[in-house]
Amino acid sequence: MTLGGGTNLVPALQTRSLIAGYEPDMPIVRGVDLSVLKGELVVLLGPNGAGKSTFVKAIAGLVPIHSGTVHLDGQDITAVPVHNKIRRGLAFVPQTENIFATMSIYENLLLAAAMAPKSERERRISTLFERFPDLASRPSRLAGQLSGGQRQMLAVARALIVHPSILILDEPSAGLSPKIVAEVFTMLQDINKSGVTIILVEQNVRAALAIADRAIILVEGKLRHEGSAATLADDPIVAKLYLGASATRKAGVS
Amino acid sequence: MNPQFLVDGLIAGSMIGLGAIGITLTYSILRFANFAHGEFLSWGAYIALALSGALGFLFSALKTPVGPFSFGWSLPLAGILAILLTGMLALLLDAILFGRLRAQRGAVIIMVMASFGASLALRSVLEFIFTSKPAYYTKALQIAVNIGGGLRVTPDQMLALALTAVVVFAIHLLLTRTGIGRSMRAVSENPALAGVVGIDVRMVIRAVWIVGAGLACIAGVMAGLLVQIRPYLGHDLLLPLFAAAILGGIGSVPGAMLAGLIVGLSEAAAVQLIGAEWRAAISFVILVAVLLIRPRGLFGRQA
Ligand SMILES: Nc1ncnc2c1ncn2[C@@H]1O[C@H](COP(=O)(O)OP(=O)(O)OP(=O)(O)O)[C@@H](O)[C@H]1O
Ligand SMILES: [Mg+2]
Repeated sequence: MTLGGGTNLVPALQTRSLIAGYEPDMPIVRGVDLSVLKGELVVLLGPNGAGKSTFVKAIAGLVPIHSGTVHLDGQDITAVPVHNKIRRGLAFVPQTENIFATMSIYENLLLAAAMAPKSERERRISTLFERFPDLASRPSRLAGQLSGGQRQMLAVARALIVHPSILILDEPSAGLSPKIVAEVFTMLQDINKSGVTIILVEQNVRAALAIADRAIILVEGKLRHEGSAATLADDPIVAKLYLGASATRKAGVS
Repeated sequence: MNPQFLVDGLIAGSMIGLGAIGITLTYSILRFANFAHGEFLSWGAYIALALSGALGFLFSALKTPVGPFSFGWSLPLAGILAILLTGMLALLLDAILFGRLRAQRGAVIIMVMASFGASLALRSVLEFIFTSKPAYYTKALQIAVNIGGGLRVTPDQMLALALTAVVVFAIHLLLTRTGIGRSMRAVSENPALAGVVGIDVRMVIRAVWIVGAGLACIAGVMAGLLVQIRPYLGHDLLLPLFAAAILGGIGSVPGAMLAGLIVGLSEAAAVQLIGAEWRAAISFVILVAVLLIRPRGLFGRQA
């Protein structure tokens, strides 16, 4: 396995036999064992409806876990309520509605910064504004009025403000133009290089594999395939698995 | 048309507005129409009555009317305690009823029916303890002052209007300038995302109950002071409260207040123009008209 520069062989996040779903008798995630190393950038692929979102939402605490465990830096966080996960260093950017549209850019950031000590909040926000100059130009703008790319930037900025050790993003490139997708991915790569472990759910297979250390493929709630990004990129099985169940979203695979 | 209806309408509208703010806040965060909200007005009024009676009994100096007003210090002191206790009542109701239904992820209609039941039970307890005979905070009479234009206002009424303005402004600041207020708006827009950014939604729900019930208590004490205290005080205001909350747009505090004034003034105008028996119909007409023409109200979010 070839790993990116910042990785060392300590697990950051581990799921064991994770079974999760919205209703008690209807598991969507059906027994997933996943181990993500510190500093790794792992991309999670799979056809529509495979359960990718459900899986990451279960880790974040938004979907009930029926059985199995989630460990973060060796600590069991399976039963930690959603609002405390971020205090443990796990930040999550949902697939849809990942910003507060009725609030300003500044308020969106301030909400997340409430976790940090009072004296540090303003400084963290201004540091983020340096990183995301697009957001800094008019912080009082309502988040609902931002373009798709700016919304994703805001959602990521919001997640970073608490200095997470691991960042989980659910399809941050959805609905963005190729140029903006490239910007978002470059930014994720930078964040990863600064030491943040990243799990990235994507449909944009080529672009995601280009920045990832490792890829895993989820099909019908189970891990189907796993390997280094470099080998998977040329693997015919990937194209087959992926396209087989997802004829509608070919666009991502060029 | 006698311009006095303006005074009556603004007074009634202030109470309706304060009550409607509570309804709009709890509705936007808990996502159900709480028909027990009117009982918070009645309970607030009676708790203040009992406390102010007790204070007056213990320290008779507190009964001496303050300045031009009809009541002594016992009432404002009792009012502050009553706000806290009405908040506690709401928390208790949430702990034993609504919170349990939420935990079971019950349907909205179950919550609404539960609130109907709670409303009946709360009102019966008041009737049992205090009987249905009207009560008063004070027996002192007040002389209305002529403020020009043929308008006559009592000092108590002027105080109620001023207090409403101050309270509404304070709530507006709470929601727009403080962390807990921002958290409330966040939960009202998207509870799941609120959790993700680190907001403890249960804590926000508790805060909203306290604020909503506290405002209801203030409205109830005003109604008790300016009219009379009855177990049906809050129940009879329920339709105007919902009309105002929906006209203002669910979730909008300025909307609820403005709509409360509109409902109050419309009622007062209707009493003069068509007759007192039509007062109750006005809220109903406004409610239905808003739901048909502009369901999101004056300041509500686009659904
Ligand atoms: N809120 C929900 N309640 C009940 N079932 C849901 C809910 N959200 C998704 N599902 C179901 O869970 C299954 C997996 O959906 P999920 O969103 O996890 O897939 P996904 O892999 O993220 O797909 P996509 O690529 O379209 O985002 C689907 O069958 C879906 O219908
Ligand atoms: Mg998804």
